[in-house]
Amino acid sequence: MKGVVLFLLVFVLLPFLPLGVWRAYLLDAGVFLLLYTASALSWDLVARTGQLSLAHGAFFGLGAYGVGLLEPHVGTLPALLSGSLLAGLSALLLGSVTLRLHGLYFAIASLAFSEVLRTLALKLPFTGGPIGLPVPPAFGGAPLAPYYLAFAVLAVAVGLSLWAEHSPFRLAQAACRQSEPVARVLGVRVVRVKLLSLLLGSLVAGLAGGVYAMKALFINPYEAFSLGRAVEALVIPIFGGLYTTLGPLLGGVVLVGLEQVLRLWIQEGYLVVYGAILILAILFLPRGLMGLWRRRRG
Amino acid sequence: MELFLQTLLNGLLMAGVYALVATGLALSLGVVGIVNFAHGEFLMVGAYLSYLLYAARGVDPLLALGLAFLAAFLVGALTYWGLIRPVLKAPELNQMLLTFGLSILLQNLALLLFGADTRVVAPPYQAATLALGPFFLGAVPLGAFLLSLALLLLLQAFLTRTPLGLAMRAVAQNRLAPGLLGIEAERVYLLAFGLAAALAGVAGVMLSVMLYASPTVGFVFTLKSFAIVALAGLGNLRGVMPAALVLALAEALVSTYVPGGGGLVEAVFFLVLFLALVGRAWRWG
Repeated sequence: MKGVVLFLLVFVLLPFLPLGVWRAYLLDAGVFLLLYTASALSWDLVARTGQLSLAHGAFFGLGAYGVGLLEPHVGTLPALLSGSLLAGLSALLLGSVTLRLHGLYFAIASLAFSEVLRTLALKLPFTGGPIGLPVPPAFGGAPLAPYYLAFAVLAVAVGLSLWAEHSPFRLAQAACRQSEPVARVLGVRVVRVKLLSLLLGSLVAGLAGGVYAMKALFINPYEAFSLGRAVEALVIPIFGGLYTTLGPLLGGVVLVGLEQVLRLWIQEGYLVVYGAILILAILFLPRGLMGLWRRRRG
Repeated sequence: MELFLQTLLNGLLMAGVYALVATGLALSLGVVGIVNFAHGEFLMVGAYLSYLLYAARGVDPLLALGLAFLAAFLVGALTYWGLIRPVLKAPELNQMLLTFGLSILLQNLALLLFGADTRVVAPPYQAATLALGPFFLGAVPLGAFLLSLALLLLLQAFLTRTPLGLAMRAVAQNRLAPGLLGIEAERVYLLAFGLAAALAGVAGVMLSVMLYASPTVGFVFTLKSFAIVALAGLGNLRGVMPAALVLALAEALVSTYVPGGGGLVEAVFFLVLFLALVGRAWRWG
């Protein structure tokens, strides 16, 4: 809890710190760090029920396209909210069909879902096709607007995650994850818990996508619906520590920082590192950085 | 009418390769109990092997078929030994994440090594067609279809006639009892996983001629195979061929009859998957 507060404090104050020549770069990179970390937390929220979501890239993309299509007509905040609702609706649709079934169906369907959305974004008449869509900047281009919007998205994600961690909902989620039949016997409404978790997760991911669009100023199907986004959203919590709030925050800082460096070094194919981290973390570090830290303490 | 029959014919020929890839996926799912998101990457390995052999030494893809079978079997067996075996008893989420990580790793490794360009293996007979009355059959798709069918029949014979095949089916049905009968489950898993990869590797060689080799070629097939396997029922090998036929025919019909369907073909598998899942959710409540 202390760690989480400290983390948020650093990012609130970042624009006011004397960073010298690094300020512009750090604030720029900070926006992406905040957004990717928020979508990682939102993935973790779903993973806590034992569901593997590979659709977080799609929720992110839906939020981005929602903002891209609506912002010119309705303004910044309404567009953000509608983009997020769009992602939420699609999650309800996907979840209501697949979450009743064995977990692997959800994983497969969510992966297929994100691939199909990219195809649709490429083919539909109003999305700008493969070229993409220009997006107006947030609040008419106020300088720190994207940064604080991104921070707000992360704050929402952290708030939801802390709520889920410190309320009875945590027990319901853990019960769904560990054994569905037992959870049912204990009176947990398994499908509802999973669906609510997915809905919350997709809303946050949609918000993150929306702010991303306003920051990037231009979106195309390959960027917005990239599988890389989904990979990132799941590697960060696994590396940091699953089913915690602090884990994804730590993982986000380390991995997004690493990514910034790697992208300069290898342009395409930097995801190779994420694949390797994913495999190594599952095999040797199943509780992530948080696990390392706890082991040292006790 | 002729167009319609030609469309069906094209779909039918494609169904063979689909069934071959999906059968491998069903094997690893049914026997080993692993959801293998990296299944398509074994196909990619086969496709690039075929490309490299052809580009460097001019080796005919027909010869590459055998090599790809062995190479992919080896890759599959190593994957099982090094990565899958340690997580056999881990939660399903971890298993899926592991294979997904492997898929990402191999895809991007291929991207680093070969770039994003698509590579085609073009032997002299690539464009050859046979005329069958008013219809045309591509020699390569026809050959791929017949070969796939032959391989699937061989697999069927292996699973029903040989002791090892029977052991494999026994392990698929029950985790405990075969051990009591002296069947070493781990060896059977190794064999099944290797075999699954080998089938995908062979399909990869066929696709390097029919389609192309690219970093993401396998990924598309992973998704399509999942759609087929979901339609057939998890781990149900007999259902794979009809399910593959459904998918391939649906794709062929969409690409012929839906205006601008060329790009939408890539979404058909999702419709099939979605309908299969809705059907399943209804039946089981």
